Amino acid sequence: MATQDIEPGSEQMLEKDTRETLVTVVRHGLLLLWSFIVLFPLYWLASMSLKPPGQANSLPPDWIFLPTVFNYLELVQQSDFVGAFVNSLVMVGASVILVLLIGVPAAYVLSRYDVPMERDILVWILSSRMLPPIAVVLPFFIIFRELNLFDTRIGMVLMYISINLSLVVWVMKAFFDGIPETLEEAARVDGATQFQGFMKVVLPAAKPGIFSVAIISFIFAWIELLFGLVLTSFEAVPVTLFVYSFIGSRSIEWSMLAAASMSMIIPVAIFLIAVNKYLAAGLSFGVVIKE
Amino acid sequence: MARITIDDVTKRFGEGDESIVAVDDVSLDIHDGEFMVFVGPSGSGKSTLMRIVAGLETQSEGDIHIGDTLVNQLGPRARDIAMVFQNYALYPNMTVEENMSFGLKMSTDLSEDEIERQVTEAAEMMGIGDLLDNRPGELSGGQQQRVALGRAIVRDPNVFLMDEPLSNLDAKLRAEMRTEINRLQNDLDVTTLYVTHDQTEAMTMGDRLVILNYGEIQQVGTPLECFYRPSNQFVAGFLGSPSMNFFDGTVEGGTLRADGFDFDLTDRMQTAVGDRTALTLGVRPEDISLHDEPTVGTEFEAVVDVVEPMGSISYVYLQASNQDHDQTFIVETDGQRPISEEQTVYVDIPADDVHLFDAGSGETIHQRHSGKRPRSRSRSGCSRSVSNPATCAVVFDSQSVSGGSGPAISSGYSPIDHACKSPTTSCLPCRPGGYC
Repeated sequence: MATQDIEPGSEQMLEKDTRETLVTVVRHGLLLLWSFIVLFPLYWLASMSLKPPGQANSLPPDWIFLPTVFNYLELVQQSDFVGAFVNSLVMVGASVILVLLIGVPAAYVLSRYDVPMERDILVWILSSRMLPPIAVVLPFFIIFRELNLFDTRIGMVLMYISINLSLVVWVMKAFFDGIPETLEEAARVDGATQFQGFMKVVLPAAKPGIFSVAIISFIFAWIELLFGLVLTSFEAVPVTLFVYSFIGSRSIEWSMLAAASMSMIIPVAIFLIAVNKYLAAGLSFGVVIKE
Repeated sequence: MARITIDDVTKRFGEGDESIVAVDDVSLDIHDGEFMVFVGPSGSGKSTLMRIVAGLETQSEGDIHIGDTLVNQLGPRARDIAMVFQNYALYPNMTVEENMSFGLKMSTDLSEDEIERQVTEAAEMMGIGDLLDNRPGELSGGQQQRVALGRAIVRDPNVFLMDEPLSNLDAKLRAEMRTEINRLQNDLDVTTLYVTHDQTEAMTMGDRLVILNYGEIQQVGTPLECFYRPSNQFVAGFLGSPSMNFFDGTVEGGTLRADGFDFDLTDRMQTAVGDRTALTLGVRPEDISLHDEPTVGTEFEAVVDVVEPMGSISYVYLQASNQDHDQTFIVETDGQRPISEEQTVYVDIPADDVHLFDAGSGETIHQRHSGKRPRSRSRSGCSRSVSNPATCAVVFDSQSVSGGSGPAISSGYSPIDHACKSPTTSCLPCRPGGYC
């Protein structure tokens, strides 16, 4: 009897082990497949940017080739590219700083104070993202022209702020909601003014959230193309527009396009890897904050 | 150290007809160095009252004095207080040392060295000297609690405010920290306001209790005063675990007719009752005796509904045999007494231990006996394991042993000692509530 009791148990154990192994194998297989789907276009782009122009678009592709930085050298020798790159850095950087300076205090006030019609204000802020950009691009063009903002860096900075403000306010409001009010009360009891409490206690506690919205705002503005296309011509051209310029009406300069695209991606990728931990913490909307 | 005076303070949230009164015309005098506990159920206004004292809420009406200073218009930073919050409210981005020194940096002109010295001293006192470089997220709940206390004491404030500081701890740690806070308060002798909904904390920690309900003070007094001489039915039911049993009844010719039994009112009770006809009788579970057979003649029959063994004691839930409605009451018996569900027992409610309340207002109209006296329980035979083998009576000073029936709040007595009045002569120190 005892033997009979044990045997079915061992079989069950074996089955359980097999099932677990199978689940692990399938899970890893799916993850590998997904990684391949995500990373292959990047690999394709990178390899294309490292091939000589004639070889970049050859079919079947040359899987084994001698890498060259020719395309990159060509790129940096074009003053337009450097100008556009600097333009983008300056405009996007300034817009991120300004959108944080406006959005974070706004989110804090909406989170902590009894603001009349708070919900309406929040929906109004969000409404700026409710229409597809193509629907508002023409009105923006007319407004920019009337206000002499067309093809100016200031104009593009304002444009980027309008794109990102709703994101910053909504995400940061959720983040501040997750930070206990007792922290500020403790600071006030400890002798801090309300402003000191905000600066010394709340803001540092909200750092992961601020980092994450800063990064996302940067990316949104960095990759923006449509408004750059319509609202700039020479002076304030962003780097996305320069990349786009390699797509001509008759031919596409694939290797240069790939090199320019990589030049856009690499700084953002390095930046993202560096601040990855803040991004993860920030996107969890404050739940990782421990008291 | 400072005395706190609360004069006619009312706090309303909202405006007009939709306003909610959280604190209703409260007046209170908290003595210098006193440990005052605000206790009450959720929504009773105890936390709001403390937050008003802290300056985190502004009262709608009334005045608050800390020491001789009227602090109505002063913010928390100007009140020289320190507060421990329920969730500790430690600054997550700062180390323990930075948390503790934050208040000193904000509110004093002390040098860095002096601040460091004081922080180290306070940390040693709280046993967290080796945690100074850690961040709050790296600490256990108990350690965080110690840091929160350390952050409060390092500032050497006039008043400590503690808002349910132990409610996030497990039972064992809570008991430890209770003792710790008591010790600290004794050592530092700082006026302390402590908010809790836990009556055990209230009974064990406070010099005096303020029992609140619906924003109104129900009773102010020492823990034993409130326990033994409750001013109304709410206080009687709130303090004590399990709660006091209440039986509604009508008075007919010197007898209270409750659902399922009659209770003969003593002369003193009848005098207190006057011409009232509707009363509520209150008696604590530990004061009721159970017998297997009728002995003294005043018992009534009841059937055991549920038995909850707790170890040294058991809680027996009973229903009177002759009752019209399903009303259950609780009796505390010795844990080793054999008793089972469906068993029929005879219940004796000792007249000396009975409280009577006005059925309409809930005000106390008759208090139980207090002072040195043989317990009715021993009369019914502790030796038969009917109830606690060793029970305690409370000894009050001579001024208090008046036996009057007025509300306890006006009696002005003070318990000075506990003494065991049971067949067992060697007792452990008495528990609050009067048991060994």
